Amino acid sequence: MKTAQLVQTSLEFLTDRFPIEKMNVNSLVRTKEVPVHRMSWAYYLGGLALFLFLVQLVTGLMLMFYYEPTVSDAHASVERITEHIGGGALVRNLHTWSASAMIFAVVVHMLTAFAMKAFAKPREITWVSGVLLLLITFAFGFTGYLLPWHQIAVNATKVGLQSIEEAGAYLPGAMSAWPGALKELIQGEASVGQATLSRFYAIHVMVLPLAFFGVLSLHLLSVQLHGMSQGVDRPTGRTERFFPFFILKDAWLWGVVFLVLFVVALCLPFEAFFSYPLFEAYDAMGSTPDGIKPEWYFYFIYYPLELLPFWVIMLAQNAAIAVLLAAPWIFRKTSRRALGVITVAVATYLVVMTVFGQQIYEMFKGGA
Amino acid sequence: MRRMVLAAMWVTAALGASRAGAYPEFQAWVDGQTPRNVNCALCHAHGDGPDGVKPGQIGSLSPEQLAALNEARQAFEPGQQVDSPILNEFGDRMVEKLGRTGIIQLRQRPGDLPQAYGFESDLDGDGIPDAREYIDGTLATNAHHGDPWLLLRHNLKANWWHLVLIAIATLLGLYGINNLLAWFEQAIGGDEEAAEGEAGIMKFEIRNSKLETNSNSTILK
Repeated sequence: MKTAQLVQTSLEFLTDRFPIEKMNVNSLVRTKEVPVHRMSWAYYLGGLALFLFLVQLVTGLMLMFYYEPTVSDAHASVERITEHIGGGALVRNLHTWSASAMIFAVVVHMLTAFAMKAFAKPREITWVSGVLLLLITFAFGFTGYLLPWHQIAVNATKVGLQSIEEAGAYLPGAMSAWPGALKELIQGEASVGQATLSRFYAIHVMVLPLAFFGVLSLHLLSVQLHGMSQGVDRPTGRTERFFPFFILKDAWLWGVVFLVLFVVALCLPFEAFFSYPLFEAYDAMGSTPDGIKPEWYFYFIYYPLELLPFWVIMLAQNAAIAVLLAAPWIFRKTSRRALGVITVAVATYLVVMTVFGQQIYEMFKGGA
Repeated sequence: MRRMVLAAMWVTAALGASRAGAYPEFQAWVDGQTPRNVNCALCHAHGDGPDGVKPGQIGSLSPEQLAALNEARQAFEPGQQVDSPILNEFGDRMVEKLGRTGIIQLRQRPGDLPQAYGFESDLDGDGIPDAREYIDGTLATNAHHGDPWLLLRHNLKANWWHLVLIAIATLLGLYGINNLLAWFEQAIGGDEEAAEGEAGIMKFEIRNSKLETNSNSTILK
Protein backbone atom coordinates (compact mmCIF):
# COMPACT_ATOMS: atom_id res chain seq x y z
CA MET A 1 0.00 0.00 0.00
CA LYS A 2 2.77 2.37 0.94
CA THR A 3 4.60 1.56 -2.28
CA ALA A 4 1.48 2.20 -4.30
CA GLN A 5 1.02 5.54 -2.56
CA LEU A 6 4.63 6.45 -3.20
CA VAL A 7 4.29 5.62 -6.88
CA GLN A 8 1.05 7.58 -7.06
CA THR A 9 2.62 10.63 -5.34
CA SER A 10 5.66 10.45 -7.59
CA LEU A 11 3.50 10.25 -10.69
CA GLU A 12 1.44 13.21 -9.56
CA PHE A 13 4.63 15.15 -8.85
CA LEU A 14 6.00 14.42 -12.31
CA THR A 15 2.67 15.10 -14.03
CA ASP A 16 2.50 18.52 -12.36
CA ARG A 17 6.09 19.31 -13.31
CA PHE A 18 5.86 18.03 -16.87
CA PRO A 19 2.31 18.73 -18.01
CA ILE A 20 1.93 17.11 -21.40
CA GLU A 21 -0.86 19.48 -22.40
CA LYS A 22 1.62 22.36 -22.28
CA MET A 23 4.21 20.69 -24.48
CA ASN A 24 3.32 22.51 -27.67
CA VAL A 25 4.56 25.60 -29.49
CA ASN A 26 1.54 27.55 -28.42
CA SER A 27 2.22 27.16 -24.71
CA LEU A 28 5.99 27.06 -24.85
CA VAL A 29 6.46 30.01 -27.20
CA ARG A 30 3.43 31.88 -28.50
CA THR A 31 1.41 32.56 -25.39
CA LYS A 32 4.19 32.58 -22.84
CA GLU A 33 4.35 35.80 -20.83
CA VAL A 34 7.17 37.19 -18.71
CA PRO A 35 6.39 39.26 -15.61
CA VAL A 36 7.59 42.86 -15.62
CA HIS A 37 8.75 44.35 -12.30
CA ARG A 38 11.80 45.87 -10.60
CA MET A 39 13.70 42.56 -10.69
CA SER A 40 12.89 41.74 -14.33
CA TRP A 41 16.53 42.25 -15.35
CA ALA A 42 17.37 39.05 -13.49
CA TYR A 43 15.34 37.01 -15.99
CA TYR A 44 18.06 37.63 -18.58
CA LEU A 45 20.88 36.10 -16.53
CA GLY A 46 20.02 32.50 -17.38
CA GLY A 47 20.05 33.30 -21.09
CA LEU A 48 23.33 35.13 -20.62
CA ALA A 49 24.87 32.10 -18.93
CA LEU A 50 23.64 29.97 -21.83
CA PHE A 51 25.20 32.36 -24.34
CA LEU A 52 28.53 32.27 -22.51
CA PHE A 53 28.36 28.49 -22.48
CA LEU A 54 27.90 28.54 -26.25
CA VAL A 55 30.97 30.78 -26.54
CA GLN A 56 32.84 28.23 -24.43
CA LEU A 57 31.66 25.45 -26.67
CA VAL A 58 32.72 27.11 -29.93
CA THR A 59 36.07 28.44 -28.67
CA GLY A 60 36.76 25.16 -26.84
CA LEU A 61 36.17 23.24 -30.05
CA MET A 62 38.59 25.53 -31.88
CA LEU A 63 41.23 25.05 -29.18
CA MET A 64 40.81 21.27 -29.41
CA PHE A 65 42.09 21.38 -32.99
CA TYR A 66 45.55 22.37 -31.74
CA TYR A 67 45.73 21.41 -28.07
CA GLU A 68 47.70 18.26 -27.24
CA PRO A 69 46.72 16.62 -23.94
CA THR A 70 50.11 15.14 -23.01
CA VAL A 71 52.37 16.31 -20.21
CA SER A 72 55.22 16.70 -22.65
CA ASP A 73 53.32 18.76 -25.23
CA ALA A 74 50.35 20.40 -23.49
CA HIS A 75 52.16 23.56 -22.46
CA ALA A 76 53.99 23.86 -25.77
CA SER A 77 50.74 23.40 -27.70
CA VAL A 78 49.07 26.16 -25.68
CA GLU A 79 52.06 28.43 -26.36
CA ARG A 80 51.81 27.51 -30.03
CA ILE A 81 48.13 28.41 -30.07
CA THR A 82 48.87 31.75 -28.42
CA GLU A 83 51.97 32.71 -30.35
CA HIS A 84 51.82 31.06 -33.75
CA ILE A 85 48.28 30.12 -34.73
CA GLY A 86 46.36 32.90 -36.48
CA GLY A 87 43.69 34.20 -34.11
CA GLY A 88 44.82 31.67 -31.51
CA ALA A 89 45.45 34.24 -28.79
CA LEU A 90 42.02 35.76 -29.41
CA VAL A 91 40.24 32.40 -29.24
CA ARG A 92 42.13 31.38 -26.13
CA ASN A 93 41.38 34.68 -24.44
CA LEU A 94 37.73 34.42 -25.45
CA HIS A 95 37.64 30.96 -23.89
CA THR A 96 39.30 32.12 -20.68
CA TRP A 97 37.38 35.38 -20.24
CA SER A 98 34.04 33.81 -21.12
CA ALA A 99 34.70 31.00 -18.63
CA SER A 100 35.04 33.58 -15.88
CA ALA A 101 32.05 35.53 -17.18
CA MET A 102 29.97 32.36 -17.35
CA ILE A 103 30.71 31.45 -13.74
CA PHE A 104 29.90 35.01 -12.69
CA ALA A 105 26.60 34.93 -14.64
CA VAL A 106 25.65 31.50 -13.27
CA VAL A 107 26.30 32.52 -9.66
CA VAL A 108 24.38 35.81 -10.01
CA HIS A 109 21.58 33.90 -11.78
CA MET A 110 21.37 31.48 -8.87
CA LEU A 111 21.38 34.27 -6.28
CA THR A 112 18.64 36.26 -8.02
CA ALA A 113 16.55 33.14 -8.64
CA PHE A 114 16.85 32.36 -4.93
CA ALA A 115 15.87 35.90 -3.94
CA MET A 116 12.86 35.75 -6.30
CA LYS A 117 11.83 32.37 -4.86
CA ALA A 118 11.99 30.90 -8.32
CA PHE A 119 12.20 27.43 -6.75
CA ALA A 120 8.63 27.50 -5.43
CA LYS A 121 6.17 24.87 -6.62
CA PRO A 122 5.96 23.82 -9.48
CA ARG A 123 9.53 24.92 -10.30
CA GLU A 124 11.45 22.55 -8.01
CA ILE A 125 12.97 20.68 -10.94
CA THR A 126 14.02 23.95 -12.58
CA TRP A 127 15.84 24.88 -9.39
CA VAL A 128 17.48 21.51 -8.72
CA SER A 129 18.65 21.23 -12.33
CA GLY A 130 19.98 24.78 -12.02
CA VAL A 131 22.01 23.86 -8.95
CA LEU A 132 23.39 20.85 -10.82
CA LEU A 133 24.35 23.14 -13.71
CA LEU A 134 26.15 25.39 -11.23
CA LEU A 135 28.14 22.43 -9.88
CA ILE A 136 28.94 21.25 -13.41
CA THR A 137 30.11 24.77 -14.28
CA PHE A 138 32.50 24.75 -11.32
CA ALA A 139 33.71 21.31 -12.42
CA PHE A 140 34.37 22.78 -15.88
CA GLY A 141 36.50 25.44 -14.24
CA PHE A 142 38.42 22.97 -12.10
CA THR A 143 39.18 20.51 -14.90
CA GLY A 144 39.95 23.20 -17.49
CA TYR A 145 42.44 24.89 -15.19
CA LEU A 146 44.86 21.95 -15.40
CA LEU A 147 44.93 21.65 -19.18
CA PRO A 148 47.60 24.30 -20.01
CA TRP A 149 49.94 22.30 -17.75
CA HIS A 150 51.74 25.32 -16.37
CA GLN A 151 53.00 25.85 -12.84
CA ILE A 152 49.88 27.38 -11.34
CA ALA A 153 47.63 24.84 -13.08
CA VAL A 154 49.38 21.72 -11.84
CA ASN A 155 50.18 22.98 -8.36
CA ALA A 156 46.68 24.35 -7.75
CA THR A 157 45.18 21.07 -8.98
CA LYS A 158 47.44 19.16 -6.59
CA VAL A 159 46.12 21.28 -3.71
CA GLY A 160 42.53 20.74 -4.83
CA LEU A 161 42.93 16.97 -5.13
CA GLN A 162 44.79 16.80 -1.84
CA SER A 163 41.83 18.41 -0.08
CA ILE A 164 39.58 15.57 -1.32
CA GLU A 165 41.84 13.02 0.32
CA GLU A 166 41.98 14.99 3.57
CA ALA A 167 38.24 14.60 3.94
CA GLY A 168 38.85 10.91 4.73
CA ALA A 169 40.29 11.80 8.15
CA TYR A 170 36.85 13.02 9.25
CA LEU A 171 34.84 10.03 8.11
CA PRO A 172 34.17 6.97 10.25
CA GLY A 173 35.33 3.39 9.65
CA ALA A 174 35.61 2.11 6.12
CA MET A 175 34.18 5.36 4.79
CA SER A 176 37.47 7.08 5.62
CA ALA A 177 39.04 5.36 2.62
CA TRP A 178 36.44 6.65 0.15
CA PRO A 179 37.82 10.16 -0.43
CA GLY A 180 41.30 8.71 -1.02
CA ALA A 181 39.85 6.27 -3.53
CA LEU A 182 37.93 9.08 -5.20
CA LYS A 183 41.08 11.17 -5.43
CA GLU A 184 42.97 8.25 -6.98
CA LEU A 185 40.13 7.69 -9.40
CA ILE A 186 40.26 11.30 -10.54
CA GLN A 187 44.04 11.52 -10.44
CA GLY A 188 44.65 8.19 -12.14
CA GLU A 189 48.09 7.63 -10.61
CA ALA A 190 50.13 8.25 -7.48
CA SER A 191 50.70 11.94 -8.24
CA VAL A 192 49.36 14.42 -10.76
CA GLY A 193 50.70 13.27 -14.12
CA GLN A 194 49.75 12.03 -17.57
CA ALA A 195 46.84 9.94 -16.31
CA THR A 196 45.45 12.97 -14.48
CA LEU A 197 45.77 15.17 -17.55
CA SER A 198 44.10 12.55 -19.75
CA ARG A 199 41.23 12.16 -17.30
CA PHE A 200 40.74 15.87 -16.78
CA TYR A 201 40.78 16.41 -20.52
CA ALA A 202 38.21 13.66 -21.13
CA ILE A 203 36.03 14.97 -18.32
CA HIS A 204 36.38 18.57 -19.54
CA VAL A 205 35.65 18.02 -23.22
CA MET A 206 33.30 15.04 -23.13
CA VAL A 207 31.78 14.03 -19.79
CA LEU A 208 30.91 17.50 -18.51
CA PRO A 209 29.52 18.87 -21.80
CA LEU A 210 27.27 15.79 -22.16
CA ALA A 211 26.10 16.12 -18.57
CA PHE A 212 25.62 19.85 -19.09
CA PHE A 213 23.51 19.32 -22.22
CA GLY A 214 21.34 16.75 -20.47
CA VAL A 215 20.69 18.84 -17.37
CA LEU A 216 20.35 22.02 -19.42
CA SER A 217 17.65 20.44 -21.58
CA LEU A 218 15.71 19.53 -18.45
CA HIS A 219 16.26 23.03 -17.03
CA LEU A 220 15.12 24.83 -20.20
CA LEU A 221 12.11 22.56 -20.70
CA SER A 222 11.08 23.16 -17.12
CA VAL A 223 11.55 26.94 -17.49
CA GLN A 224 9.42 26.99 -20.64
CA LEU A 225 6.71 24.75 -19.19
CA HIS A 226 6.22 26.78 -16.03
CA GLY A 227 7.37 30.19 -17.19
CA MET A 228 9.32 32.65 -15.08
CA SER A 229 8.35 32.89 -11.42
CA GLN A 230 6.49 36.05 -10.43
CA GLY A 231 9.73 37.25 -8.83
CA VAL A 232 8.31 39.69 -6.28
CA ASP A 233 5.82 39.31 -3.43
CA ARG A 234 3.47 41.89 -4.92
CA PRO A 235 3.17 41.33 -8.68
CA THR A 236 2.72 44.45 -10.78
CA GLY A 237 0.33 42.66 -13.09
CA ARG A 238 2.40 43.81 -16.04
CA THR A 239 3.77 41.22 -18.41
CA GLU A 240 5.50 41.07 -21.76
CA ARG A 241 5.34 38.41 -24.38
CA PHE A 242 8.18 35.92 -24.31
CA PHE A 243 8.18 35.68 -28.08
CA PRO A 244 9.36 37.79 -29.74
CA PHE A 245 10.00 40.62 -27.25
CA PHE A 246 11.83 38.85 -24.44
CA ILE A 247 13.82 36.77 -26.92
CA LEU A 248 14.72 39.89 -28.87
CA LYS A 249 15.98 41.68 -25.79
CA ASP A 250 17.93 38.53 -24.92
CA ALA A 251 19.53 38.62 -28.37
CA TRP A 252 20.52 42.26 -27.95
CA LEU A 253 22.02 41.54 -24.57
CA TRP A 254 23.97 38.65 -26.09
CA GLY A 255 25.18 40.98 -28.83
CA VAL A 256 26.38 43.60 -26.37
CA VAL A 257 28.06 41.00 -24.15
CA PHE A 258 29.73 39.44 -27.18
CA LEU A 259 31.13 42.83 -28.20
CA VAL A 260 32.45 43.52 -24.71
CA LEU A 261 33.91 40.03 -24.52
CA PHE A 262 35.55 40.43 -27.92
CA VAL A 263 37.12 43.77 -26.99
CA VAL A 264 38.42 42.36 -23.71
CA ALA A 265 39.72 39.16 -25.32
CA LEU A 266 41.47 41.07 -28.11
CA CYS A 267 42.97 43.81 -25.97
CA LEU A 268 43.45 42.40 -22.50
CA PRO A 269 45.30 39.08 -22.25
CA PHE A 270 44.10 37.18 -19.19
CA GLU A 271 47.64 36.23 -18.17
CA ALA A 272 48.70 39.88 -17.91
CA PHE A 273 47.11 39.96 -14.45
CA PHE A 274 49.44 37.31 -13.07
CA SER A 275 53.15 36.86 -12.45
CA TYR A 276 54.74 35.22 -15.46
CA PRO A 277 56.55 32.40 -13.55
CA LEU A 278 53.11 30.95 -12.83
CA PHE A 279 52.64 30.31 -16.55
CA GLU A 280 55.92 28.55 -17.21
CA ALA A 281 55.74 24.87 -18.11
CA TYR A 282 55.28 22.70 -15.04
CA ASP A 283 58.54 21.17 -13.92
CA ALA A 284 58.27 18.48 -11.25
CA MET A 285 61.97 18.85 -10.41
CA GLY A 286 62.04 22.65 -10.57
CA SER A 287 61.20 25.30 -8.02
CA THR A 288 57.55 26.09 -7.30
CA PRO A 289 56.82 29.78 -7.87
CA ASP A 290 55.10 31.88 -5.24
CA GLY A 291 51.44 32.80 -5.63
CA ILE A 292 49.92 29.38 -6.41
CA LYS A 293 46.17 29.83 -6.06
CA PRO A 294 43.03 28.47 -7.65
CA GLU A 295 40.98 30.57 -10.06
CA TRP A 296 39.24 33.63 -8.55
CA TYR A 297 35.87 31.88 -8.48
CA PHE A 298 37.19 29.40 -5.91
CA TYR A 299 38.49 32.10 -3.55
CA PHE A 300 35.27 31.95 -1.51
CA ILE A 301 36.27 28.47 -0.41
CA TYR A 302 40.07 28.68 -0.83
CA TYR A 303 40.76 31.43 1.72
CA PRO A 304 38.51 29.97 4.43
CA LEU A 305 40.26 26.65 3.76
CA GLU A 306 43.59 28.36 4.47
CA LEU A 307 42.30 29.99 7.65
CA LEU A 308 39.92 27.52 9.28
CA PRO A 309 40.16 23.83 10.21
CA PHE A 310 39.50 21.58 7.27
CA TRP A 311 36.51 19.87 8.85
CA VAL A 312 34.71 23.20 9.28
CA ILE A 313 35.00 23.96 5.58
CA MET A 314 34.06 20.42 4.58
CA LEU A 315 30.99 20.56 6.77
CA ALA A 316 30.01 24.02 5.56
CA GLN A 317 30.54 23.08 1.92
CA ASN A 318 28.46 19.90 2.10
CA ALA A 319 25.77 21.67 4.12
CA ALA A 320 25.65 24.50 1.56
CA ILE A 321 25.23 22.04 -1.33
CA ALA A 322 22.54 20.13 0.56
CA VAL A 323 20.68 23.35 1.43
CA LEU A 324 20.91 24.52 -2.18
CA LEU A 325 19.50 21.26 -3.52
CA ALA A 326 16.74 21.15 -0.91
CA ALA A 327 15.92 24.88 -1.05
CA PRO A 328 12.43 24.37 -2.59
CA TRP A 329 11.39 22.39 0.47
CA ILE A 330 13.45 24.16 3.16
CA PHE A 331 12.34 27.68 2.16
CA ARG A 332 8.83 26.74 1.04
CA LYS A 333 7.16 29.14 3.43
CA THR A 334 9.85 31.83 3.54
CA SER A 335 8.87 35.23 2.17
CA ARG A 336 10.77 36.77 -0.71
CA ARG A 337 11.79 39.59 1.61
CA ALA A 338 13.54 37.12 3.94
CA LEU A 339 15.09 35.33 0.97
CA GLY A 340 16.35 38.69 -0.25
CA VAL A 341 18.13 39.28 3.06
CA ILE A 342 19.76 35.84 2.91
CA THR A 343 20.81 36.51 -0.69
CA VAL A 344 22.41 39.83 0.20
CA ALA A 345 24.31 38.17 3.05
CA VAL A 346 25.59 35.37 0.80
CA ALA A 347 26.46 37.80 -2.00
CA THR A 348 28.37 40.00 0.45
CA TYR A 349 30.35 37.01 1.67
CA LEU A 350 31.18 35.96 -1.90
CA VAL A 351 32.26 39.46 -2.94
CA VAL A 352 34.31 40.10 0.20
CA MET A 353 36.10 36.74 -0.02
CA THR A 354 36.77 37.12 -3.72
CA VAL A 355 37.97 40.71 -3.64
CA PHE A 356 39.55 40.98 -0.19
CA GLY A 357 40.36 37.31 0.52
CA GLN A 358 44.11 37.87 0.29
CA GLN A 359 44.02 40.83 2.69
CA ILE A 360 41.86 38.90 5.14
CA TYR A 361 44.26 35.97 4.93
CA GLU A 362 47.26 38.21 5.58
CA MET A 363 45.46 39.94 8.43
CA PHE A 364 44.95 36.63 10.26
CA LYS A 365 48.12 34.84 9.19
CA GLY A 366 50.42 37.85 9.33
CA GLY A 367 51.79 37.95 5.77
CA ALA A 368 51.46 35.99 2.59
CA MET B 1 91.19 15.08 -28.41
CA ARG B 2 87.85 16.56 -29.55
CA ARG B 3 86.24 15.33 -26.35
CA MET B 4 88.91 17.00 -24.28
CA VAL B 5 88.37 20.30 -26.09
CA LEU B 6 84.62 20.05 -25.54
CA ALA B 7 85.12 19.21 -21.88
CA ALA B 8 87.43 22.19 -21.50
CA MET B 9 84.84 24.44 -23.18
CA TRP B 10 82.12 23.13 -20.87
CA VAL B 11 84.24 23.70 -17.76
CA THR B 12 85.13 27.21 -18.94
CA ALA B 13 81.47 27.99 -19.59
CA ALA B 14 80.34 26.52 -16.29
CA LEU B 15 82.97 28.42 -14.32
CA GLY B 16 82.07 31.55 -16.22
CA ALA B 17 78.48 31.05 -15.24
CA SER B 18 79.24 30.82 -11.59
CA ARG B 19 81.37 33.94 -11.82
CA ALA B 20 79.23 36.21 -13.89
CA GLY B 21 76.52 34.18 -15.63
CA ALA B 22 73.58 35.23 -13.50
CA TYR B 23 73.05 38.54 -11.77
CA PRO B 24 70.38 38.06 -9.11
CA GLU B 25 70.63 41.69 -7.99
CA PHE B 26 68.39 42.74 -10.87
CA GLN B 27 65.78 40.13 -10.04
CA ALA B 28 65.86 41.10 -6.36
CA TRP B 29 65.37 44.78 -7.26
CA VAL B 30 62.38 44.02 -9.49
CA ASP B 31 60.92 41.76 -6.80
CA GLY B 32 61.01 44.62 -4.33
CA GLN B 33 59.64 47.05 -6.91
CA THR B 34 56.44 45.23 -7.91
CA PRO B 35 53.87 42.96 -6.24
CA ARG B 36 54.47 40.48 -9.05
CA ASN B 37 56.85 37.60 -8.48
CA VAL B 38 59.68 37.32 -10.96
CA ASN B 39 62.35 34.74 -11.65
CA CYS B 40 65.43 34.40 -13.82
CA ALA B 41 63.29 34.18 -16.99
CA LEU B 42 63.21 37.97 -16.84
CA CYS B 43 66.48 37.86 -18.84
CA HIS B 44 67.42 34.18 -19.03
CA ALA B 45 66.22 31.32 -21.21
CA HIS B 46 65.28 29.23 -18.18
CA GLY B 47 63.32 30.37 -15.15
CA ASP B 48 65.77 28.75 -12.75
CA GLY B 49 68.76 30.58 -14.25
CA PRO B 50 71.73 29.42 -16.29
CA ASP B 51 73.06 26.73 -13.95
CA GLY B 52 71.67 23.25 -14.48
CA VAL B 53 71.03 20.70 -17.18
CA LYS B 54 67.57 21.72 -18.38
CA PRO B 55 66.88 23.37 -21.74
CA GLY B 56 68.39 26.84 -21.77
CA GLN B 57 70.83 25.96 -19.00
CA ILE B 58 74.55 25.46 -19.41
CA GLY B 59 74.55 21.74 -18.70
CA SER B 60 72.25 21.10 -21.65
CA LEU B 61 74.18 23.03 -24.27
CA SER B 62 75.57 21.38 -27.38
CA PRO B 63 79.17 22.11 -28.46
CA GLU B 64 77.88 24.68 -30.95
CA GLN B 65 75.81 26.39 -28.28
CA LEU B 66 78.76 26.38 -25.90
CA ALA B 67 80.80 28.10 -28.58
CA ALA B 68 78.00 30.66 -29.00
CA LEU B 69 77.94 31.17 -25.24
CA ASN B 70 81.67 31.79 -25.11
CA GLU B 71 81.37 34.22 -27.99
CA ALA B 72 78.54 36.08 -26.23
CA ARG B 73 80.69 36.31 -23.15
CA GLN B 74 83.28 38.27 -25.06
CA ALA B 75 80.83 41.14 -25.54
CA PHE B 76 82.31 43.34 -22.82
CA GLU B 77 81.65 46.57 -24.68
CA PRO B 78 78.29 47.83 -26.01
CA GLY B 79 77.39 47.49 -29.68
CA GLN B 80 78.31 43.86 -30.25
CA GLN B 81 75.65 41.53 -31.54
CA VAL B 82 74.81 38.85 -28.98
CA ASP B 83 72.95 35.56 -29.33
CA SER B 84 73.52 33.69 -26.09
CA PRO B 85 71.85 30.29 -25.65
CA ILE B 86 71.31 30.93 -21.94
CA LEU B 87 69.73 34.38 -22.32
CA ASN B 88 66.38 35.36 -23.74
CA GLU B 89 66.02 38.15 -26.30
CA PHE B 90 65.84 40.80 -23.59
CA GLY B 91 69.03 39.50 -21.98
CA ASP B 92 70.79 39.51 -25.35
CA ARG B 93 69.61 43.05 -26.10
CA MET B 94 70.78 44.20 -22.69
CA VAL B 95 74.28 42.89 -23.34
CA GLU B 96 74.26 44.46 -26.80
CA LYS B 97 73.23 47.85 -25.42
CA LEU B 98 75.27 47.97 -22.24
CA GLY B 99 78.02 45.44 -22.75
CA ARG B 100 78.90 42.97 -20.04
CA THR B 101 81.06 45.60 -18.36
CA GLY B 102 78.11 47.98 -18.14
CA ILE B 103 75.86 45.28 -16.72
CA ILE B 104 78.43 44.26 -14.13
CA GLN B 105 78.73 47.91 -13.06
CA LEU B 106 74.94 48.20 -12.77
CA ARG B 107 74.77 45.23 -10.39
CA GLN B 108 75.37 47.65 -7.53
CA ARG B 109 72.47 49.90 -8.60
CA PRO B 110 69.98 47.76 -10.52
CA GLY B 111 67.39 50.56 -10.36
CA ASP B 112 69.47 52.50 -12.88
CA LEU B 113 69.21 49.79 -15.50
CA PRO B 114 66.04 51.14 -17.19
CA GLN B 115 67.64 54.56 -17.77
CA ALA B 116 70.87 53.02 -19.00
CA TYR B 117 69.00 50.62 -21.30
CA GLY B 118 66.65 53.32 -22.57
CA PHE B 119 62.94 53.32 -23.26
CA GLU B 120 63.03 53.02 -27.05
CA SER B 121 63.24 49.24 -27.41
CA ASP B 122 60.04 47.17 -27.40
CA LEU B 123 61.10 43.64 -28.29
CA ASP B 124 57.67 42.00 -28.16
CA GLY B 125 55.84 44.90 -29.82
CA ASP B 126 53.18 45.11 -27.12
CA GLY B 127 53.50 48.88 -26.88
CA ILE B 128 55.31 48.74 -23.54
CA PRO B 129 59.05 49.55 -23.63
CA ASP B 130 61.35 46.76 -22.41
CA ALA B 131 62.68 49.01 -19.66
CA ARG B 132 59.16 49.65 -18.39
CA GLU B 133 58.45 45.90 -18.43
CA TYR B 134 61.61 45.39 -16.36
CA ILE B 135 60.31 47.93 -13.80
CA ASP B 136 56.85 46.30 -13.76
CA GLY B 137 58.24 42.76 -13.48
CA THR B 138 56.56 41.66 -16.69
CA LEU B 139 58.08 39.76 -19.59
CA ALA B 140 59.69 42.00 -22.20
CA THR B 141 59.64 39.10 -24.66
CA ASN B 142 55.96 38.21 -24.42
CA ALA B 143 53.40 40.43 -26.14
CA HIS B 144 50.64 38.94 -23.98
CA HIS B 145 52.31 39.89 -20.73
CA GLY B 146 52.58 43.43 -19.43
CA ASP B 147 50.82 46.02 -17.32
CA PRO B 148 47.13 45.29 -18.08
CA TRP B 149 46.13 48.94 -18.40
CA LEU B 150 49.00 49.77 -20.78
CA LEU B 151 48.29 46.64 -22.83
CA LEU B 152 44.61 47.56 -23.08
CA ARG B 153 45.39 51.09 -24.27
CA HIS B 154 47.92 49.90 -26.82
CA ASN B 155 45.75 47.06 -28.14
CA LEU B 156 42.69 49.31 -28.43
CA LYS B 157 44.71 51.69 -30.60
CA ALA B 158 46.31 48.88 -32.60
CA ASN B 159 43.07 46.98 -33.22
CA TRP B 160 40.52 49.78 -33.58
CA TRP B 161 39.66 48.76 -37.14
CA HIS B 162 38.96 45.15 -36.09
CA LEU B 163 36.77 46.44 -33.30
CA VAL B 164 34.79 48.67 -35.65
CA LEU B 165 34.30 45.73 -38.03
CA ILE B 166 33.14 43.37 -35.29
CA ALA B 167 30.74 46.02 -33.96
CA ILE B 168 29.25 46.46 -37.45
CA ALA B 169 29.03 42.68 -37.90
CA THR B 170 27.29 42.27 -34.54
CA LEU B 171 24.79 45.04 -35.29
CA LEU B 172 24.04 43.53 -38.69
CA GLY B 173 23.61 40.13 -37.09
CA LEU B 174 21.16 41.55 -34.55
CA TYR B 175 19.29 43.34 -37.31
CA GLY B 176 19.02 39.99 -39.08
CA ILE B 177 17.79 38.25 -35.93
CA ASN B 178 15.27 41.03 -35.50
CA ASN B 179 13.80 40.33 -38.93
CA LEU B 180 14.09 36.59 -38.53
CA LEU B 181 12.04 36.73 -35.35
CA ALA B 182 9.40 38.86 -37.04
CA TRP B 183 9.19 36.39 -39.91
CA PHE B 184 9.06 33.47 -37.51
CA GLU B 185 6.30 35.07 -35.50
CA GLN B 186 4.32 35.47 -38.69
CA ALA B 187 5.04 31.89 -39.65
CA ILE B 188 3.68 30.49 -36.41
CA GLY B 189 0.64 32.75 -36.66
CA GLY B 190 1.55 35.33 -34.08
CA ASP B 191 0.55 38.95 -34.05
CA GLU B 192 0.16 39.83 -37.72
CA GLU B 193 0.95 43.46 -37.16
CA ALA B 194 4.46 42.61 -36.08
CA ALA B 195 5.22 40.74 -39.26
CA GLU B 196 3.92 43.39 -41.62
CA GLY B 197 6.54 45.36 -43.51
CA GLU B 198 9.63 46.32 -41.54
CA ALA B 199 10.16 44.67 -38.21
CA GLY B 200 12.86 46.82 -36.68
CA ILE B 201 13.73 46.84 -33.03
CA MET B 202 12.03 50.22 -32.57
CA LYS B 203 8.73 48.77 -33.67
CA PHE B 204 9.11 45.90 -31.26
CA GLU B 205 9.97 48.27 -28.45
CA ILE B 206 6.89 50.43 -29.07
CA ARG B 207 4.63 47.41 -29.18
CA ASN B 208 6.32 46.04 -26.13
CA SER B 209 5.53 49.13 -24.10
CA LYS B 210 1.89 48.76 -25.14
CA LEU B 211 1.85 45.16 -24.06
CA GLU B 212 3.15 46.00 -20.64
CA THR B 213 -0.36 47.11 -19.71
CA ASN B 214 -1.71 43.62 -20.33
CA SER B 215 -3.35 41.89 -17.42
CA ASN B 216 -1.50 39.23 -15.53
CA SER B 217 -1.09 35.98 -17.38
CA THR B 218 -2.44 32.67 -16.17
CA ILE B 219 1.09 31.36 -16.41
CA LEU B 220 2.00 33.25 -13.25
CA LYS B 221 1.62 31.27 -10.09
